[in-house]
Amino acid sequence: MKLIPNFNSPLALRIIFAISIFILLFITSVSYKHNRDLQNSSKLMMHTYEINIQLERLLSFVKDAETGQRGYIITKNSRFLAPYLFSRDKVNRSFIKLKKLMNDNPKQQQNLKNLFDLIIQRYTYLEGSLKYSNEKTYDKRKLDNCMFGGRIVMENIRFQIDEMNDVEKDILQKRQKIYQSEISLTPIFSIILFLVALSFILLSYRQISNDLNRLKVFNKKLLISTKLMAESEIIGAFSTWQWDMDSDKIVYSDNQYRLLGYPPNSFVPKKETFLEYVHPEDKQAFSSLMQGIIENKQLPLIYYKVIRKNGEIRYFKTIGKLLIDEQGSKIMLGITFDITEEHFQNIAIYERNKELEKSNKELASFNHVASHDLQEPLRKIQTFISRISDDDMNSLSESGKGYILKIGTSAKRMRILIDDLLLFSRTNTTKKEFLKTNITDLLEKAKLELSEIIQEKNAIILADKLPKLHVIPYQIEQLFINLISNSLKYSQPNIAPKINIFCEKITAKEFPDLLEQSIKKYYKITFTDNGMGFDPQFKETIFVLFQRLHTKTDEYPGTGIGLAICKKIVENHKGHIIADSTPNKGSVFTIFLPE
Amino acid sequence: MQKNALHILLADDDEDDRLFFKDAFEEVKIQTKVQFAHDGIELMAHLMHPETILPDILFLDLNMPKKTGKECLIEIKKTEHLKHLIVAIYSTSSSEEDIEDTFIQGANIYIKKPSSFDALKKIINEVVTLNWHYHTSGLNRDTFLLRLK
Repeated sequence: MKLIPNFNSPLALRIIFAISIFILLFITSVSYKHNRDLQNSSKLMMHTYEINIQLERLLSFVKDAETGQRGYIITKNSRFLAPYLFSRDKVNRSFIKLKKLMNDNPKQQQNLKNLFDLIIQRYTYLEGSLKYSNEKTYDKRKLDNCMFGGRIVMENIRFQIDEMNDVEKDILQKRQKIYQSEISLTPIFSIILFLVALSFILLSYRQISNDLNRLKVFNKKLLISTKLMAESEIIGAFSTWQWDMDSDKIVYSDNQYRLLGYPPNSFVPKKETFLEYVHPEDKQAFSSLMQGIIENKQLPLIYYKVIRKNGEIRYFKTIGKLLIDEQGSKIMLGITFDITEEHFQNIAIYERNKELEKSNKELASFNHVASHDLQEPLRKIQTFISRISDDDMNSLSESGKGYILKIGTSAKRMRILIDDLLLFSRTNTTKKEFLKTNITDLLEKAKLELSEIIQEKNAIILADKLPKLHVIPYQIEQLFINLISNSLKYSQPNIAPKINIFCEKITAKEFPDLLEQSIKKYYKITFTDNGMGFDPQFKETIFVLFQRLHTKTDEYPGTGIGLAICKKIVENHKGHIIADSTPNKGSVFTIFLPE
Repeated sequence: MQKNALHILLADDDEDDRLFFKDAFEEVKIQTKVQFAHDGIELMAHLMHPETILPDILFLDLNMPKKTGKECLIEIKKTEHLKHLIVAIYSTSSSEEDIEDTFIQGANIYIKKPSSFDALKKIINEVVTLNWHYHTSGLNRDTFLLRLK
């Protein structure tokens, strides 16, 4: 399960947000500029109007002066002269205002200067006409001149004022045009930009909501696996911890507290305080290990004991691994196992093993006793018997001779028993060297070993071709010897023994109850004879040590060990042996040997 | 004491076995001189003695007190003037382990103590008439354990 999804969007989101903010800032600055332009344009308009008004006013002042003077000349009433007298002042003030208004325009200033000159000229004419209309200084020709000149100048003034108004209007129109063009272009651009920004934001919104959904899903998974982890820690009696090597901050899983005998999160873990829980016997080793962690950033497997809050001693096993994350900070991750139960089980197993070893040793010494110490007195008994029967037989009574014979037979039987017993125990204790061996060769060797009795009984042994297998050669040979001699021993009287040996390859599945299923293929080797057979109810017990089906020791001499050895040999080869029989018809012994 | 008599030495702690051995040699029609050592220590002391005339064949029991036959065998094969001594292991044990060990340590033949006097005589006859030159020159695992036909 992939727990950490690939959340690439933060970077993309950041870029989208940056672009959107940039666009919005741009739009804002554009609108700000528009606003300012609008303001400028209205200001300019006001300016133009003001100039217009001032110029009109100037003209009207001059006209007032002219009208007043004209009234005076006609009526000779000095009251008419008042507008004329005041008009000069007013004209001057108007001029100052106009000069201020036209401060930024040199051409208009020039025009204003011309206008000023013209107005001064007009006033000169006005003064002249006032002077020549006076009764004392009356001069008809000069008065006419002045009046006429005044009229022409007045027209010039009007003309000049019109011109100046035109100039202002021109400027206004030009500016207006520029603004117009700017204003008409930018709205479309702004809207486009706004739409782009909006789509970006929508896009990122979708991304964020997608991420949120995925986060929710992963959060759920994380929650489940965290719960699972916590539960498995409790069940498995282990815990995890993290130790940030840079900040020395240690975090325990809940179960770590429980393992120490505390409720989860009941204290703040510190590297100095853990030693308090460690058993005094292990403190030394543990503190040097802690030093090792700090110096080498390594925590090999360590076994130690802790003392729980309630004084209980628990056995712990801890291993850690250093993790270096992307930021380069070193975190020691560790797992701690509570192996107390395991520990005591191990001790029990260890003790049982020791006992087993001891009894094995006893068995081995029994082997030695059987092989040497028991044989030695027996051999001497037999040797002494042989000396008596060789040299002193004639001097014995008849019953004495009989006893000696019986002692000899018993000693012989005891020898066979010891030999068989030894063979049985050696089947298990001697070296088991598996060699790839031709099984047919081993059968031939077994037949050679039994050649005397085979000849004596006129036995016929027919065998399939046998495979090459990894076996302990002398044991398989022993197995064949035991099986064949068993058949020969229990042959039917007056019928020549016939043994058929069949071999086929089978799969373990065909015999699910008998065979070890982890091994796939087996060879099934069947020994069929025409002997006296046995009651099938004994087909299991026949393989048990010292189990004999015949009591008449003289007729069928046997120790009850031969088939037990067979079973042991087959088991040594991870195989299986079964027997079946029809009394008075014959027996079938089947061995399965792994391929 | 005849010069051409075969010199035999048996190291065995068992009195009866020494008796059987002595009797058997007396009945075998070969000129022999049979000597006995009662344990491993006595055997080694005898062999190491500078005046000892070394036997032609040493019969060595394995299971002896104080010093076992195997220890004696190792010591003999390590000692310069003894290492060519013909050593016949003469033991009750017929365990593969004993046969294997003594073969590796350089014994010449392994004899399992028989359980009849007749067989013992046959074995002795076989061993003393054995072509030792042939038997020592090429040691053979198959002929190491003496089997009577």
